[in-house]
Amino acid sequence: MTTQIEFSGVNKHYGAYHALKDINLSIGKGSFVALVGPSGCGKSTLLRSLAGLEKITGGDISIAGEVVTTLPPRKRDVAMVFQSYALYPHMTVEENLTYSLRVHGVSKGERKKAAAEVAATTGLSDLLHRYPRELSGGQRQRVAMSRAIIRNPKAFLFDEPLSNLDAALRVHMRKEIRALHDRLGATSVYVTHDQIEAMTMADHVVVLRAGIIEQQGRPLDLYDKPANKFVAGFIGSPAMNFLPATVAEGRAATIDLGKGPIRLTIPVAAPIGSSVLIGIRPEHITLTAPGEGRFDAPVAFTESTGSTTFVSTATNPELMVVETGRRMVANGDLVGLAFADTAVHVFDGATEKRL
Amino acid sequence: MRRLYSSLVDGRGFDLCLIGIPLAFLIVLSGVPLIYNVVMSFQAVDMFSLGSFIRPWVGHENYRQLIAQPEFWPIMGHTATFLVASIAGQFLLGFALALFFWMNFPGASWLRGLFLVSWVMPGLVVGAVWNWLLSGDFGVFNFVLHQLHIISDNVFWRSDPAFSLWSVIIANIWLGASFNMILLSVGLSSIPDDLYEAAELDGAGALTRFWTITLPMMRSTIGALISLGLIFTLQQFDLFAAITAGGPNNSSNVAQYWAWDLSFKQYDFAKGAAISVIMIVVVMLASVYYVRSTRHEVRG
Ligand SMILES: Nc1ncnc2c1ncn2[C@@H]1O[C@H](COP(=O)(O)OP(=O)(O)O)[C@@H](O)[C@H]1O
Ligand SMILES: [Mg+2]
Repeated sequence: MTTQIEFSGVNKHYGAYHALKDINLSIGKGSFVALVGPSGCGKSTLLRSLAGLEKITGGDISIAGEVVTTLPPRKRDVAMVFQSYALYPHMTVEENLTYSLRVHGVSKGERKKAAAEVAATTGLSDLLHRYPRELSGGQRQRVAMSRAIIRNPKAFLFDEPLSNLDAALRVHMRKEIRALHDRLGATSVYVTHDQIEAMTMADHVVVLRAGIIEQQGRPLDLYDKPANKFVAGFIGSPAMNFLPATVAEGRAATIDLGKGPIRLTIPVAAPIGSSVLIGIRPEHITLTAPGEGRFDAPVAFTESTGSTTFVSTATNPELMVVETGRRMVANGDLVGLAFADTAVHVFDGATEKRL
Repeated sequence: MRRLYSSLVDGRGFDLCLIGIPLAFLIVLSGVPLIYNVVMSFQAVDMFSLGSFIRPWVGHENYRQLIAQPEFWPIMGHTATFLVASIAGQFLLGFALALFFWMNFPGASWLRGLFLVSWVMPGLVVGAVWNWLLSGDFGVFNFVLHQLHIISDNVFWRSDPAFSLWSVIIANIWLGASFNMILLSVGLSSIPDDLYEAAELDGAGALTRFWTITLPMMRSTIGALISLGLIFTLQQFDLFAAITAGGPNNSSNVAQYWAWDLSFKQYDFAKGAAISVIMIVVVMLASVYYVRSTRHEVRG
């Protein structure tokens, strides 16, 4: 796969604030990359730097082999879908779609034809003569996407495009955007704070925190082998359980949940006496009768969505267990917790890196 | 009785009271004089019949006589020049200043506030200051033009019939530009940044963005400003009184000043009223346009 977008050593300072710290990232042609991380971690800044809307203070960005670091946005040939959609309120849908063509001097006839073609594929044909204020949220979203598609740009940039839609429409648009990406063979960079969006839509997920790339890779690799405690906790919902443990001889570890020491075997070697964090995903723990699991714990409370039951234990730290189906356990009941050795992640207690 | 009381305390009665007070105020202080003025323009009025409302009806005679006066058309022409030049000058200067302060350099908002001083000053004071600035032999205005080699001989701004109207226009532009700037600044800052960013990504350069985003988004602000400008400019009286008094030889006389001159210097109240009526019609047309352009506000 040829590289379409390349960040090398990119830094961004807002005055004294260091928003992007030495970002190196290479995005293949035709791939769908998600930038994910908590609010304020620099996702938008990275995307806007790529678009040229922010000037980076160090490093280089190249698009399709050309260094664009000093080029203004209009010379970079990328299209962006904004969270606010940024539709031109004084123009009809058709005029919104064809604004870029008009700016580039395309004739009126050609513009109309192009708008009709794109509108047909995005289901906007009947809305071409409406103004943005006459559209629903979902329709505005489509206009914003169509405005990007019509330009056939070198890359599509999305900044949390679905966050203003309701939950059902969001799930639907997720699939639609991905299908569109595949059909156009486009290169897409998608910013979101929602790890589920990132996991379900992208080929390649980049996890950011405080301006640093914590880990990047295929979605399931991030789930299976998180590089550190932050990624482990961020990817997957509900979040992974973390238990502080002390390593003893022979890959044994002792966890203390406030009810006396519990012994576990960990899958990796660690210095004897060192402290580690044991990570277990809620969906990898199963409930058993007391005494039949690794250890027993009292139930603090349960929540059920009908298809799934979430059980929290009255331990310190508290453990979250996800069970499919309905599980009838009452608060205060003692339950056994079982999990496979392979489900255990071990992180260094001090650096929080995966061992 | 209880119903009436409760309606007055919280209900339609209360709403009507709230509307009624300003409405009564407007009728007494604006409506009645307006109608009085219109009626008077169709009557024969002299010093002795001034106190009575019932006066001989003369139909269009006042208007006919007014139009027949040799200075009527020149004065209407001066009024039009004054309106167009003042509004255009105030608007262009105001827009230029608004764009300048929009760049938001350090101290921009502080400096912008200072510009409002001109708008706060009374017209007579502004007129007195401009009298000095425009003075023929020791005025700063002439001095600057001299230094820039734009003129070689002193221009007697206020006494030369070719320039007297322009001396008032210059002062009026200075007086009104800051009001234009403030309204245009508000209009500019109400355009969301992401529209410009989207346009920039769509390939539009700075000038294209100005023509295709800024100006159309400001349409209602601009429409409102031009109609308000028309009204304010037609009201501008102080500057004429302070700078040229309509002279020399009516070369800087305009409708609003002439109306005052006819009514209160020559005591020809009927003709003064007739000019006012003509001006009322113009202002009403401007008001209709103002209301229409603010009603069609485009906001995302
Ligand atoms: N124009 C700016 N001036 C100063 N700080 C900014 C500016 N824009 C963003 N930041 C800071 O940079 C950090 C990253 O912002 P952003 O990229 O918008 O985060 P997000 O990941 O939520 O999109 C935030 O801490 C934010 O406060
Ligand atoms: Mg953001």
